[in-house]
Amino acid sequence: MRFFLLIAIPLFFATPAAALVVDQDTVWDGQHSFSEDVQVLPGATLTVAPGSQLNFTGAGLEVSGRLVAEGAEFSGENWEGLRLKGVDNSTRITDCVIKGAATGIFVQGGAPLLEGLTLSANKVGIEVRGKAAGKVTNCLFTENLKVGLFIKDDSTTSVVDCRFAGNLRYGAYLYHARPQMFQGNLFVNNDTGLMIAYHGTDPEVLDNRFEKNKIAVQVDRAARPVLRGNLLLGNQTGFYIYRRSDPLVTGNRIEENGVGLLVAYSSYPEVESNDFLNNEMALKLEFQSSSWEAQRGADARAGETSARSAFAGQGMRSVSEEDRRAKRLDGMVNAGNNWWGKEGTLELANIGSNGNPSFIHDGRDQTTFTDEGEDYPLDKVAHSPWRKVPATEIKR
Amino acid sequence: MNNTYIKYTCLVLLLLGYLLSACTPENESGLSGQLLFQDQPLASAQLEIYLKADKDRSVQPFAITTTDAEGRYQASLPEGSYFVIGKKRETTDDGRTRMLMAESPANPHQVVDGIASVASFNLREMGREGLPVADDQTGVSGLITYQGEPVSRAFIYIYTENDAGLTGPSYGEAVQADKEGHFTINLPVGRYSLVARKRADGSRSGALAPGDLNATYPGNPVEISSGEILALNDFALTKVDAEQHAQRLADGVFTKTETLLRGQVVDADDLPVSDVYVFAYLDSRMVGKPVHMSVPTGADGDFSLFLSDGGTYYIGARSAFGGPLEPGEWVGTFDGQADHSVTVTRGANDDLGSIIVKEFW
Repeated sequence: MRFFLLIAIPLFFATPAAALVVDQDTVWDGQHSFSEDVQVLPGATLTVAPGSQLNFTGAGLEVSGRLVAEGAEFSGENWEGLRLKGVDNSTRITDCVIKGAATGIFVQGGAPLLEGLTLSANKVGIEVRGKAAGKVTNCLFTENLKVGLFIKDDSTTSVVDCRFAGNLRYGAYLYHARPQMFQGNLFVNNDTGLMIAYHGTDPEVLDNRFEKNKIAVQVDRAARPVLRGNLLLGNQTGFYIYRRSDPLVTGNRIEENGVGLLVAYSSYPEVESNDFLNNEMALKLEFQSSSWEAQRGADARAGETSARSAFAGQGMRSVSEEDRRAKRLDGMVNAGNNWWGKEGTLELANIGSNGNPSFIHDGRDQTTFTDEGEDYPLDKVAHSPWRKVPATEIKR
Repeated sequence: MNNTYIKYTCLVLLLLGYLLSACTPENESGLSGQLLFQDQPLASAQLEIYLKADKDRSVQPFAITTTDAEGRYQASLPEGSYFVIGKKRETTDDGRTRMLMAESPANPHQVVDGIASVASFNLREMGREGLPVADDQTGVSGLITYQGEPVSRAFIYIYTENDAGLTGPSYGEAVQADKEGHFTINLPVGRYSLVARKRADGSRSGALAPGDLNATYPGNPVEISSGEILALNDFALTKVDAEQHAQRLADGVFTKTETLLRGQVVDADDLPVSDVYVFAYLDSRMVGKPVHMSVPTGADGDFSLFLSDGGTYYIGARSAFGGPLEPGEWVGTFDGQADHSVTVTRGANDDLGSIIVKEFW
């Protein structure tokens, strides 16, 4: 059924509708329910008026033209969500609520502007892919089942001043993506606040706040982001640097976490000019050994790939060992020029450069770990020189 | 130390020796060789190994390896038949980026046991997307239209042969028309087939959807002569019709037959998983295109996989089809047999039981 009739006609009662094609400028107002997909074709603009309530059952809204929606609610049962296909920045969705969808907003390419949205109880709040640009600003992602905001596929969408709260798996996930800006966001009570994973995912994560997450930021599988100027407060684990990941961790305030910075499985971050304050353990190494990496790292990764089976692994972007190679494998993790708090600084003054700080767990505390029956030396942390005053001006 | 202990110790050592000997490099199988460019060894080039010939290739390589400083490579592979391609993207001394590429002239290569040697071959410099470099006086030009009006920014795909049906990624080059719908493509002398598509989302590749524009050039194949920019006649697109599109899907891999595998897709907690496709492959490595696939599972996780005939199939499940595996997808295999196989007789209606999938992150 083609859809011409609702041009600037407010509807105040729920109106069941079948498959719709919007092929000319159209305004929706009031309550609508849909049981079939709605398509907005190129050249057409669908405007959704403030206060509108759109309900979908087993369907979704696909926009190849333009969508302008403000202050509306999109919800439904077993519904697909909004699909924005190659739309430019004249598509603006502001102050709307999108809830209960498979993917609240799916952005395939283009550069839409998404502002002040609430994405809740979707499987995925917003998924951005296809080299999309655009902006996500002042949005709330809450209680989404898998991921609040998923940015993939070389997209550069800016993410600014958003709040990620209580998402069940990941607040935000960056996969082969480099947002133009990722700044000023708050992550609270997520399973993992921010996941930055896979080789080629090298964004700058700047001036964000992570509070009371199980893991605040996980960097995984050869990603190399810059983590700068963030506050990590009261998380079980602050930064989790995992599986050959080499981020730059600088200018952050890492405070009152279970473990401030956890480094595992052949990862060699550069950790400098951060403030570590009142963490149960400021910095911990786990299954981290240059010797293991030199002897077994490449083989273990090859084994992992083949064990995943050709079926499951087909098409994955390949990362060569050359891509993954550490700049150096000398058994040390660099964490010089950080401030370890007043007590930490006093302790370091007493024990000296070669001492074993109580707030760092490394090869000085646990000489080896065992893998497949062989012992490997746990790396050590190069904590000297250390700062005598805070490195940042970040406030709680 | 009693005799029984000594016997057992010897037995264990013998077994260990046997197992160790089975793991020695002499038992390794695969391919080795050397890549050249202008008859010189080519270091840091990529060797891609496929299971199918070029025209059928639609997936990522089965294996990839890189040449050493002497241009040499060795890839461990199970027994089988393989197609080998060498590639290297590099920057020349004058700052120009170029792509070197060639297929092994001796393709396919058989791996039976041990390391089979591939004769050295030279890579050639390629054009923008995989065709040999063309001169700027030779090629095609034209105008893309829809309902008599120019279509801006459509993609024109150049195929060097049409055995694969002019679909999929086997095209040699994809060029985008300008805002007014015009295009000019420099090509080497030869015969080509052209297809044009304009997807609603503006993307260059991916399955067409209802509403996208699509056409095969009616004058295919076109013959390009040296020194000529061949002006094509009207290249008019048509819209992908939703009903025809749905019918084509129904007639394709989802076709109902009399031979059926059924079961349920579940997670590790034995809970049903929805929106997962079940695939059947003829190849035990489960790469390439599946021969059959189910429609996505519903809320109950149940699936029905219709097969064209009896035989041995290798069964996998995934929440997406096509494209690389991405975080968040469900993936798993039928594990009733270690190699994920099931043998079906024609006309059977067999219950596979549960296929366990897990989320890949």
